[in-house]
Amino acid sequence: MFNRNYKEKTIEYVLFAVSALTVVILFLICLFLFRDGLLLFEDVPVSSFLTGKFWYPTSVNAQFGLLPLLFGSLLVTAGAILFSVPLGVASAIFISELANPKVADFLKPFVEILAGVPSVVYGFFGLVVLVPFVRETFNLATGQTALTGSIMLGIMALPTIISISEDAISSVPSSLKQGSLALGATRWQTIYKVTVPAALSGISAAVMLGMGRAIGETMTVMMVTGNTAVIPSFPGGILDPVRTMTATIALEMGEVPQGSAHFHALFAVGSVLFIITFLINLLADAIKKKYRFKVD
Amino acid sequence: MTEAIQNVAKTQIEVKDLNLWYGEKQALMNIDIQIPKNSVTALIGPSGCGKSTFIRCLNRMNDLIKNCRVEGKVSIEGRDIYGAGVDVVDLRKHVGMVFQKPNPFPMSIYDNIAYGPRIHGVNKKAIEGVVEHALRSAALWDEISDRIQSPALSLSGGQQQRLCIARTMAVKPEIILFDEPCSALDPISTAKIEDLIMALKKDYTIVIVTHNMQQAARISDYTGFFLMGELIEFGNTRQIFENPDKKSTEDYITGRFG
Repeated sequence: MFNRNYKEKTIEYVLFAVSALTVVILFLICLFLFRDGLLLFEDVPVSSFLTGKFWYPTSVNAQFGLLPLLFGSLLVTAGAILFSVPLGVASAIFISELANPKVADFLKPFVEILAGVPSVVYGFFGLVVLVPFVRETFNLATGQTALTGSIMLGIMALPTIISISEDAISSVPSSLKQGSLALGATRWQTIYKVTVPAALSGISAAVMLGMGRAIGETMTVMMVTGNTAVIPSFPGGILDPVRTMTATIALEMGEVPQGSAHFHALFAVGSVLFIITFLINLLADAIKKKYRFKVD
Repeated sequence: MTEAIQNVAKTQIEVKDLNLWYGEKQALMNIDIQIPKNSVTALIGPSGCGKSTFIRCLNRMNDLIKNCRVEGKVSIEGRDIYGAGVDVVDLRKHVGMVFQKPNPFPMSIYDNIAYGPRIHGVNKKAIEGVVEHALRSAALWDEISDRIQSPALSLSGGQQQRLCIARTMAVKPEIILFDEPCSALDPISTAKIEDLIMALKKDYTIVIVTHNMQQAARISDYTGFFLMGELIEFGNTRQIFENPDKKSTEDYITGRFG
């Protein structure tokens, strides 16, 4: 009896330790990121980092302005969302409501495979196919633009958006759909007036998570956006090269002397990125929890 | 009294030789029934006897179930609803349905009622009147008229069910089907729904499936007894309960099985 209790308790503690590990790791990442990031402000005032318009990290009068990188990231991400949300939600509706089960079972694995493709492969595809296409279509000097990045990121965010939206849509109780149909609504009226609104919280969460994925993506954007650290104009800047926060860190980290202002500036950029994705995830989680279905 | 009604009542729903299969399994066998207009018809029988399946034939909700096959004739006002060229959406406008568990949409009380009229293109101004009328008819207006914009899900279970009845009436059907509408409700809410159903029969033809035999006896004019997919007996409620023709009806009603 005692022996068995002892064993049960041991297992419980081991599993607790394992799951606590993720929290510890997250905490340590925060600690090191912010510690090194904050050291930047010994050399540079906070305001000139947060509101600086120029990122000249290696010139004699080095400037570490966040705005070109921040706007680069936001522009590419916004483009990706504009492109992937309608596509993703439409696919989710099709898979969960309209497709016959056989077709849905056939489609779902493809969506999952799309999520499993390495980002460098996406980047390669973008570079070889999409970049020349954008250059020729819009008659540009280079096809490495924010738009190219947006399309690639949109494709990469699709699996997240589709599978989470699909989950949300198919968890709407069938009693609601039947209630609508019994009132003489058509299948389509039922979908867009009852089912999708009822799943809206889950769909919003899906959009948020897709956004989190897009803003944090590095390799693909680095390969297709041209990496010019200039504040993009709006909306024409969508056809100019941009540089995202992630690409900046990846491109410059290898070259930078440890402990220099530039080194700390990259950590500061990383901290900002971390805060943004953290907030997006938090928001997605809050939306999901708050409106989770209470019927059925 | 009921005999007199039956004599003058006009048949609204006529079912002939109705058979239904779920895949290989036959769930309804040779159902013949004539349901009179402006009456309450109760369908009773043990679980799995086919009474819910039958009621779902009347507004073709069974169409949603895969592998469900229907043969035979169901006529409403003389029109075969399984015939070629029948618009199911239009049919369901005329034959409303209230479900076992209250299923209000996650929107405001007002929008729940307005949903039907809106999809059927009733104009905005008229809808307000329709909503109020439906809520009054469902005896819900006095309880909730001051919070008509609050979420329907904030109502109690019994109120939600009356809201669903109001929502059905807002589409102005001729027939309302009730599929065990009180099985998820407490006795007080049940009594309110029963009163409502009896009041509604002057405007609607009502078919109600119920597990509760006392309920059938209390509220219905006609009763049908289902067993293993067959309609064993159909007639005046009083006759079915006091003097059934068939032995199995009597056994079920007196509680010997089921």
